[in-house]
Amino acid sequence: MAYRVMIVDDSPSMRAFVRRVIDLSGFQVDTCLNAGNGAQGLALLAQQAVDIILTDINMPEMNGEEFLQRLEEHDRYRAIPVVVISTDATENRMQRMMQLGAKGYISKPFSPEALRRELERVLGVSNG
Amino acid sequence: MADTAVAESLAAAAADVLETMFFSTVIGEAAVSATAPADAVAARLQFSGARSGAFALRLTAGAAQVIAANFLAEETDEPSQAQVQEVVCELANMMCGSVLSRLDRGGHFELGQPAMADAAEVGGPAAVSRAFDIGDGEIAVFLSVDAQS
Repeated sequence: MAYRVMIVDDSPSMRAFVRRVIDLSGFQVDTCLNAGNGAQGLALLAQQAVDIILTDINMPEMNGEEFLQRLEEHDRYRAIPVVVISTDATENRMQRMMQLGAKGYISKPFSPEALRRELERVLGVSNG
Repeated sequence: MADTAVAESLAAAAADVLETMFFSTVIGEAAVSATAPADAVAARLQFSGARSGAFALRLTAGAAQVIAANFLAEETDEPSQAQVQEVVCELANMMCGSVLSRLDRGGHFELGQPAMADAAEVGGPAAVSRAFDIGDGEIAVFLSVDAQS
């Protein structure tokens, strides 16, 4: 099965890198939407459905925390699994993002295999 | 916080980030030069939280070009100066987060926005530093923690 993915990060280079790592991992992507912050992500979601969202935390205009809060408030978006990608590997940050509604968390640096495992875990995909 | 623990975390974070995200291998350690090479580029960011301070890195031009090309997967054209700067800032962001997470997994921190800096002005005597040879050039990293942290 191929998935509709949204990558939310203010760095175009980082968005392109994440997409490349997803492809390298073998995770099947149907369509990939790109947003530069949470507000752009919400605007895209109003036009097009996605199966999973990968988001950075530190972004201008609407950061990852507010983005998660806005998704949780919205009936249509609450069920979309969100994986946070961050340089912060502390337990405090992971718990904070999970409390806000994230279903997965992966800290940089990460391998293609680690990213795929996390995406499949939050999507409930069996790879056995 | 002991300087040796910081230096070891700097080395581990640098090697891990460079190899996993930038497809560059640390060949060995290098001496941290007191003066920046003429063509060096640098980036710096502030952090706050359980500890506050600053992280900086300084790369030779060759190292910056190769790292940017690896990260962007550029196979034909050389990355533009703007792309190199964006990737160098991303590298600083990742290394800083990785170092701070290694130093205190149960702590908390906030990273500032990384920005390009004058290569001649990064570091300083208060910073713990390490330098690495990645074959195509050198990377020096500097971590300064405020005294009250």
